[in-house]
Amino acid sequence: MTALTTKPTSLEAFPFAYEPSTTVDTSKYKMVAENVTVSYGGVDAVKNVTMKFKEKSVTALIGPSGCGKTTFLRCLNRMHDMTKNAKVTGKVMIDDVDLYSKEIDPIYHRRKVGMVFQKPNPFPTMSIYDNVTAGLRLNGVRDKKILDEIVEDSLKMAYLWDEVKNDLKKPAIELSGGQQQRLCIARALAIQPEVLLMDEPASALDPIATQKIEETIIELKNDYTIIIVTHNMQQAIRVSDYTGFMYLGNLIEFRETKKLFTDPKDELTAKYVQGHFG
Amino acid sequence: MTRLIDPSLHKLSFIMSEMGDMVIESISLAIDSYLIGTNTKDKVLKLSDAIRVKYFEVEDLTFDMLLKYQPVADDFRLIRSSTEISYAFSRFGRYAYDITLVRDLFGDVSECTNASLVESTKKVKHMIKAAVLSFAELDVRIAVEIHEDEKYIDRIYRERLPKLIESTNTRCALAEALLLRYLERIGDHAVFMSDAISYIVTGKHRPSEERIASHTKTEN
Amino acid sequence: MNSVQDRRQEYRSLFKQNVAKRLLVDKAVRIIVFSCVIIAIIPLGSILVEVFKNGLTAISIEFLTETPGSAGSGEGGIGPAIQGTLIIIGLSSLIGVPIGVMSGIFLSEYGDNALARFVRFFNDVFMEFPSIILGIFAFLIIVLVIGHFSVWAGAFALSLIMFPIVTRTTEESLKMVPMTYREAGTALGLKKWVITFRIVISTAKSGVITGILLSVSRIGGETAPLIMTILGSSQFFSSMDTPMDALPLRIWRLSLLPYDSAQLQGWGAALVLIMIILGINLGIKYQFMNKKNGLFRQLIRQRRNATK
Repeated sequence: MTALTTKPTSLEAFPFAYEPSTTVDTSKYKMVAENVTVSYGGVDAVKNVTMKFKEKSVTALIGPSGCGKTTFLRCLNRMHDMTKNAKVTGKVMIDDVDLYSKEIDPIYHRRKVGMVFQKPNPFPTMSIYDNVTAGLRLNGVRDKKILDEIVEDSLKMAYLWDEVKNDLKKPAIELSGGQQQRLCIARALAIQPEVLLMDEPASALDPIATQKIEETIIELKNDYTIIIVTHNMQQAIRVSDYTGFMYLGNLIEFRETKKLFTDPKDELTAKYVQGHFG
Repeated sequence: MTRLIDPSLHKLSFIMSEMGDMVIESISLAIDSYLIGTNTKDKVLKLSDAIRVKYFEVEDLTFDMLLKYQPVADDFRLIRSSTEISYAFSRFGRYAYDITLVRDLFGDVSECTNASLVESTKKVKHMIKAAVLSFAELDVRIAVEIHEDEKYIDRIYRERLPKLIESTNTRCALAEALLLRYLERIGDHAVFMSDAISYIVTGKHRPSEERIASHTKTEN
Repeated sequence: MNSVQDRRQEYRSLFKQNVAKRLLVDKAVRIIVFSCVIIAIIPLGSILVEVFKNGLTAISIEFLTETPGSAGSGEGGIGPAIQGTLIIIGLSSLIGVPIGVMSGIFLSEYGDNALARFVRFFNDVFMEFPSIILGIFAFLIIVLVIGHFSVWAGAFALSLIMFPIVTRTTEESLKMVPMTYREAGTALGLKKWVITFRIVISTAKSGVITGILLSVSRIGGETAPLIMTILGSSQFFSSMDTPMDALPLRIWRLSLLPYDSAQLQGWGAALVLIMIILGINLGIKYQFMNKKNGLFRQLIRQRRNATK
């Protein structure tokens, strides 16, 4: 089979090939990252990336290793404050408040954004209950009734309640890997965020646990805006509404997931998703 | 870099090109049977069966690739359209056989041929060649021609049928009715095929309402 | 594939087939290693045996609780010395531990700058200071200034020995806590000091405590600094501004007397000191290995869960 010949640029020549008009999506953007650039010691890891995230949607970030997707994700809740030598420029707006502006308290706004990491990391010296409430207790919330409620809500949302409800005082590290990750999700949800960032949440888990995490993400979509970095393209297709493809720090393409994976506009995207590199 | 899916894709394209060649041959033989009068029934039957076997092979291969490789983008569109296209090929084979059956049943009907039938035949020959070529080279521009041809064949079909009812020569009338019918069906499938090829290249479907409407519309 | 099989044969023939010789070499090395260990242990073992042998007969309730009798009489005991040792260790820890732990936290959590590198270097040098110099230092700035020997001076001197060790072990324990827990804390919107004290330290708890106990058992046996600062005495503790007794001092004093009974008491005191230090070390082992949430056990558990 010869390679694809000329791809038509104008649709008029092909009267039978047109795109039906989609209903205009009026949902607003929960989070907008504008001209974000991250550099480590002079080298740009993320180059002038702009992305907008609709509320109550799931956006997947894909790209080969080292393309900057995790670095970009960490800008969204100012995790780079912890890293020496990291310089971040640009704006990250949640509900029209710029996280990086000098006037606001980053800690307060950081609580609007929860994060789940690649390797499950429940605090090892704490029980399940204490882990879920860590973000609250260590910030001064003491009311036991409220904490109990939040624990139950969060664990239910993370699909872990039924498995641990009788054993909340058990040390968190005695759970299996998949359960630990769901515990971390519950812990992130307990601080009542509006946006959830997930950095390859299932890559350290077995397929069954992965499936549970994906089901959880799809349920959570109803109430949270989720941004997930993933290496697994099928996972991106399964759970996300929008997908962004990054390469060498640049955002190459950002579209509705189904469109990006069935009809990518950019050559590079087509090459990557079909496995020609990466 | 050879990907895991590449050998299967090559196999797919090989089978499809074989099917394309067989389709062209069987249609030519079928057309000869009523234009010239040769009885090509057995040959065409063999070809039609062979095409059908290849159609099942393509189906198996398609689902195998979906199961193993979960293809996306160009690969995905190619595989998805291949089912439609291989089905169209199998239909061409079948109609070619049906056409040779007319010669078989009615005897030599070469004297029944008239201008409209000859024109329609020309168009069909052109359409089939264009369809196979368009798929082989994934050239969507040829697909436009297919649409034009199909419209013509449709028109002829609708114009001639009422006239055939008035006809005095029953044998020729019936033969011509059957032949025009088969040619019209071949035309329809050629159009479906060109839409599928367009989908591979452009990523856009012909919208389903248009697909339905065009199929059942009455020309006025 | 013939070529693969041929290659296999060829390479295999390269391996030396001298099994017998290799086993012999193996055995020889093993014997050498074991003997080195034995040679290392013999002196230590023999010390313990000597101390036990000579000191056991001196132990009695009176010995452990009474003040020393007149020199050479064979009466009395080392009560004040035991009390003194415990007091001086306690006081030194009170001063040395908080300073050491705080420094360790600083070096680990806030320590990516020039000041930290200087402090670390200074700390390492300080750890190697001869303890007598620290004793003299304490003598000069406290004893001479206030005009008499003082428990404060002794505690000060010992804390100087103690805190570099605590700093170093605390820093190492905190560094062993994986970065990911700090990141999780940050992502939850916790302030840095909350993360450090409530999460990182609690995870590194056993390491920090181990370091503290190690430094305690180190200072338990220090003699030189005590000579210059608390001098030693025959009375129980009376006030912070008078000399006080301690086991190392008492052992030294007793061993210098020419009487056999004094020598015996000296052995007994040595035995008591060794038992105290041994007790602290065993306490460390128990805490480290068996405590349910010790770091060691956590690591084992995590490894097990990861492969589940």
